[in-house]
Amino acid sequence: MDWTLVGDYLPLYGQAALLTLAVGVAGIAAAALVGLLVAALRYFKTPLASQLAGAYTELSRNTPLVVQLFFLYFGLPKLGVVISATQCAIIGLAFLGGSYMAEALRSGLDAVDRIQPESALSLGLTRWQALRHVVLPQAVAVAAPALTANVVFLIKETSVVSIVALPDLVYVAKDLIGNDYNTVEALALRVAAYLLLLQPISLAAQAWERSLRRGIGV
Amino acid sequence: MSRINIKPLALLLAPLAVLTACAAGPAEGANEAPSDSGAVGARTVQQIKDAGSIKIGVFSDKAPFGYVDSSGQYAGYDVVYGNRVAQDLGVKVEYVPVEAASRVAFLETGKVDLILANFTVTAERAEKVDFANPYLKVSLGVASPESAPITDIFQLNGKNAIVVKGTTAETYLEANNPEVKLTKFEQYTEATSALLDGRGDAWVTDNTEALAWTQANKGFVTGITTLGPADTIAGAVQKGNTDLLNWLNEELVTLGKENFFHKDFTETLEPVYGTTVSADDLVVEGGKV
Repeated sequence: MDWTLVGDYLPLYGQAALLTLAVGVAGIAAAALVGLLVAALRYFKTPLASQLAGAYTELSRNTPLVVQLFFLYFGLPKLGVVISATQCAIIGLAFLGGSYMAEALRSGLDAVDRIQPESALSLGLTRWQALRHVVLPQAVAVAAPALTANVVFLIKETSVVSIVALPDLVYVAKDLIGNDYNTVEALALRVAAYLLLLQPISLAAQAWERSLRRGIGV
Repeated sequence: MSRINIKPLALLLAPLAVLTACAAGPAEGANEAPSDSGAVGARTVQQIKDAGSIKIGVFSDKAPFGYVDSSGQYAGYDVVYGNRVAQDLGVKVEYVPVEAASRVAFLETGKVDLILANFTVTAERAEKVDFANPYLKVSLGVASPESAPITDIFQLNGKNAIVVKGTTAETYLEANNPEVKLTKFEQYTEATSALLDGRGDAWVTDNTEALAWTQANKGFVTGITTLGPADTIAGAVQKGNTDLLNWLNEELVTLGKENFFHKDFTETLEPVYGTTVSADDLVVEGGKV
């Protein structure tokens, strides 16, 4: 291992880690919104929308992200729709992550006794109010481990965005190997960068989980 | 809760320690006895003959040099050469698909005996692998849309050039034209698809590839046919595998006597280039430019 080389490469990996993080955070935020919507539609069994949400979940969970990205980046232009690589990555993550988030939330929602939303509705709360103030706080606490696992999972999934030419950690390592052939240094830095990126997120997620569960008394 | 605190740190450091240990391990394994799978050591000519097959790394998506045809067979200029190498060694051939950026790693880890993947000879690569004598000449070319042709490399300043990672086009532009923005892909099919979709202003690659591709794709031209220094393309073996290297160089002399690569050109490249390129522009016989 050539440590001077590692020093030279560090700034490149720093930039790449920032891109990985930025794409990951944007994608996860979008995925959480999609997940919430889909879970709500299925929870209230809204006619038609609920079936559509179910179909989306199947499509999203049973196709790999790399395939979805290929479709967005190389497929859509053939239909006249050209979106940038960054947009493709975020849309792809939201599409994939949305169903995982929805399923995690649904497990939490199902854990809340049906008598609660029914009582809330009979007391005059709207569906959204019942969801927002009565059911969701408990559901999220129950689903927290699954939700945080999804966050880490989705950041790891960003490792395929280099196929749409986004300079993330995988891309930079491959590029350096292709140019200088210092395989060991490039790969070791890539492992280290992902670890350093994900370990704090994992720890923060665990802390969040604990505080949430304490708050709700689960 | 405090008991959890130390574990994550240990988990964090353990893989790094393992990696460092691996990296510090033996580096002179080039000529050690080979094992049957995942071997790091290179195989001598005799070992290849004993095993009954040679592993050759070729491109699978780079027509007409190395590609998989519609019947699922490897074909192209490099593959015709590879078939002949195997035939003269008296062994079966096993083709392994490689990407541009992984060619060196495939040799270093002994996953293939020989790379015949349009491998341009460069000083940086020659530090990591041993090149045999060349069998093709090449320089860079620039393919661009007919509607906005790039005829001078400076037209690309501030614009987006598509390149394939680990190719001479990438290293040349980074060193000589830093104002050109690069969009890098791993596969040739991804690069050409991106050019078709207007994701870049031009595709910079070997002139042989640019010419072949623009010939087959209407609406695109090779506006620059020679860019950068004239390079050669050669087979490569693992660093230190002089036995196989010498055999390959002697083989090239034999093949030169029968004008093998001119026949190879007629068979694989002429149908693509038509009259735009003549065999003598590209072909190297006997290993001598």
